[in-house]
Amino acid sequence: MMIRRRTFGAGLLATSLPLPAIAQSTGSAGKRGGDVIVAQQAQPPSLDAQTTTAQAARNISLHVYESLFTRDEASNPKPELAEGVDIAADGLTYTFTLRTGVKFHNGKVMTSADAKASMERYAKVGGSGDALKPVAAFETPDAKTLVMKLSRVFPGMIEAISSPRAPYVIMPAEECVKPAGQTAPPMIGTGPFRFVEYRPDSHVKLARFDDYSANMAYEKRDGFTGRKTPYFDSVTFRFMPEGGARTAGLQTGELHVLESLDNAAAKRLKDDKNIRAYTMMPWAFMTLMLNNNWGLTANVELRRAIQAALDLEEIMAISTDGLYRLDPAWQYPDTNYFPGVAGLDAYVKQNQDKAKQLLKAAGYNGEELVLVADNSFKAHLDAATIASEQLRAIGMKVKLSVMDWPTVTATRQKSEGWNMWPLMMGIEPYEGPYNVVGFFAGKQTVQIKQDPVIEDANTKLNTELKLDDRRAAVKQFQARVYDQAISVKVGDVGIIQATRANVMNYAPYRIPRMWDCWFA
Amino acid sequence: MLRIVIPRLLGAVPVLFVVSLIAFGLTLLVPGDMAAEMLGPSATASDLARVRHELGLDQPPLARMAQYYGGLLHLDLGRSILLNQSVTQAILERLPVTMSLTCLGLGMAMLVGIPLGLFAASRSGHLSDQAAMGVALIGLSLPEFWLGLVMIWVLGVKLGWLPTGGWVSLADDPLGWLHHMVMPAGSLAIAQLGLIARMTRSAALEVASSDFVRTARAKGLAEPRVFVRHVLGASLVPILTVAGIAFGVSLGGALVIEQVFSLPGVGRLVIGAVLRRDWPVIQGGLLLTATVFVLVNLIVDLLYLWADPRLRGR
Repeated sequence: MMIRRRTFGAGLLATSLPLPAIAQSTGSAGKRGGDVIVAQQAQPPSLDAQTTTAQAARNISLHVYESLFTRDEASNPKPELAEGVDIAADGLTYTFTLRTGVKFHNGKVMTSADAKASMERYAKVGGSGDALKPVAAFETPDAKTLVMKLSRVFPGMIEAISSPRAPYVIMPAEECVKPAGQTAPPMIGTGPFRFVEYRPDSHVKLARFDDYSANMAYEKRDGFTGRKTPYFDSVTFRFMPEGGARTAGLQTGELHVLESLDNAAAKRLKDDKNIRAYTMMPWAFMTLMLNNNWGLTANVELRRAIQAALDLEEIMAISTDGLYRLDPAWQYPDTNYFPGVAGLDAYVKQNQDKAKQLLKAAGYNGEELVLVADNSFKAHLDAATIASEQLRAIGMKVKLSVMDWPTVTATRQKSEGWNMWPLMMGIEPYEGPYNVVGFFAGKQTVQIKQDPVIEDANTKLNTELKLDDRRAAVKQFQARVYDQAISVKVGDVGIIQATRANVMNYAPYRIPRMWDCWFA
Repeated sequence: MLRIVIPRLLGAVPVLFVVSLIAFGLTLLVPGDMAAEMLGPSATASDLARVRHELGLDQPPLARMAQYYGGLLHLDLGRSILLNQSVTQAILERLPVTMSLTCLGLGMAMLVGIPLGLFAASRSGHLSDQAAMGVALIGLSLPEFWLGLVMIWVLGVKLGWLPTGGWVSLADDPLGWLHHMVMPAGSLAIAQLGLIARMTRSAALEVASSDFVRTARAKGLAEPRVFVRHVLGASLVPILTVAGIAFGVSLGGALVIEQVFSLPGVGRLVIGAVLRRDWPVIQGGLLLTATVFVLVNLIVDLLYLWADPRLRGR
């Protein structure tokens, strides 16, 4: 017999309500109509939402598709297409109750068969498919129930399947037979906007889905979930690689929303009454990853010397144009797994004398430190440039190799040939601890050499049923990273999203959300 | 004419074969693949392996090579992983954007550059000659992307005369197309204008000292008529040569301009493919570029025959 151990569900309203004519989030009158144009830098690598982790894809796909669970404003897992889930006491059976009457964009009503087919496809082609490895089987006892049976305990399951990283979207079962990368176009989901056209290198156009089944269990927009109301007739996502052209387009009114505006442009436009800038802090971690396996950085004393030599504030201030905060924790404050910052001052404060002593203790003899950085992201290159100068200041010989992004990612996967690599971790810390701790654990760790204490922390995080035990595992991970100088957390990076002033009720989030906002 | 066309086309075959070899070799030599791009830096090894297998990226090099050349023999450039469509179709969809941008830019450059060069030659040694060549030198020295950004700021943001980017099809709306293309083509033209003006001036000065030009002047023809009728006609061969070179340079410049003005042309296709390691598109783009260069050279050779009747009998 299944025991209801814990239930995830929205704060349910007693009755179903018709699609609201006014915006619930502010009480202001929302107005239907208009084609809103959103500019983003990159074109998605694929419109197959399940397969790609790219921000450029999420911006679009999360307007079209929905998942059983997703994240709320504070990044906590919350139901979306599910009403809730019952998790058995042994942690091996998850019973999802699906919302009824939810329609796909092709008119078909969603059932548990679609949810099962979508999850099974994800296990095969999904960008974070490893999370479904503990699943032994999916069962559909009736049209509104999906049962997920696990072969081993995985307490992070709801966190995993609610992540928007490569979202676990639900699509019609007949779409799920398609191979990776081939479900779209067209994109067929249940979201507030339906797919209209894709012009590669130009744009994706969506239109309001007039049969959209808003989730009446919520009162208002809430992160990726909540009660979503589409007001715009259509949304066009334009791909514009040149930042100056995007800013110019916003100034002239050819564009209405920018997924990001650099801080220098935001300062320049602060008096422009036609533009509103919204700052989100935090958006990402800025890190300097170290290869614990090869060359100089295989030596823990030398890694400690690097940690002591770096002026983190200088790196953050320059690489982010001032949009940063110093935060040594490997989880964001005010989140479920925040491990605290007690005792970290000694690690994060620059101390060049100490760095030189550590360098000497490490037996450093003028060998070359290889820093690899990409020129695709300005912040990466800036961070690498400043860090290399700070390391030279303590007498180290540093070689800065600048490559394009794919070459850097391929290089850093090799166990040798690099020592340091700047990386902004965007979606992983937002998701919580699993993909942060997991990044440092397993067969292909980011620091190349497995660390037994981090492996243990990762195992506990993935197996302990008690939240407090999992929190302790994150603390253990953080303490070990600092003690062994496994990697350098430089700080938290913010982001600025921007709209024309006539875009009403906009609120910044992980994607530029085009539901629950409208033209004045 | 066929005596020129056929050997040139046959000569292009080994060139294109070498280009195809280089294009395929790049897939083996350059690090990175599409799966890593789709999954991001924190992807696990098994997620990467699974998606690589799903996308067919884990096939051995020889199998990929056989597939690639098998496709080429059937004029099939392969299938884009990024776009989920055939490379030929992807290129053909974008070719009108790139070719219209290049041709309009080159057309504008020739329309201004040739008269400017002739004017400078006719005023050789005067202040106006130096001023004209100064303008040409400035145009030649300015990078296209910088010019493009300045034009966006001035003509788009400050004056609001022209759109800051985007594309309208010529077939759908000719005026809209022109409205959107003036700035990108203009920024390409300014750079090429300098090259064409300087070459025209130099060719015109050489011809201007010829006996037949002196005879034309002795007949009492007005100086503008001497330059347009006699000097320009005899200077066409070197001008065509430089126009052919300018076309190639403009094509390269168009790749950058497409990025700046968000135009969905071949340049953006190829740059996007390079950044995501969509190898079939990169290979197709290289072959296309080589083919266009071969064809442009051929067209220039044929234009020589039109411009200089003495060459027709050779």
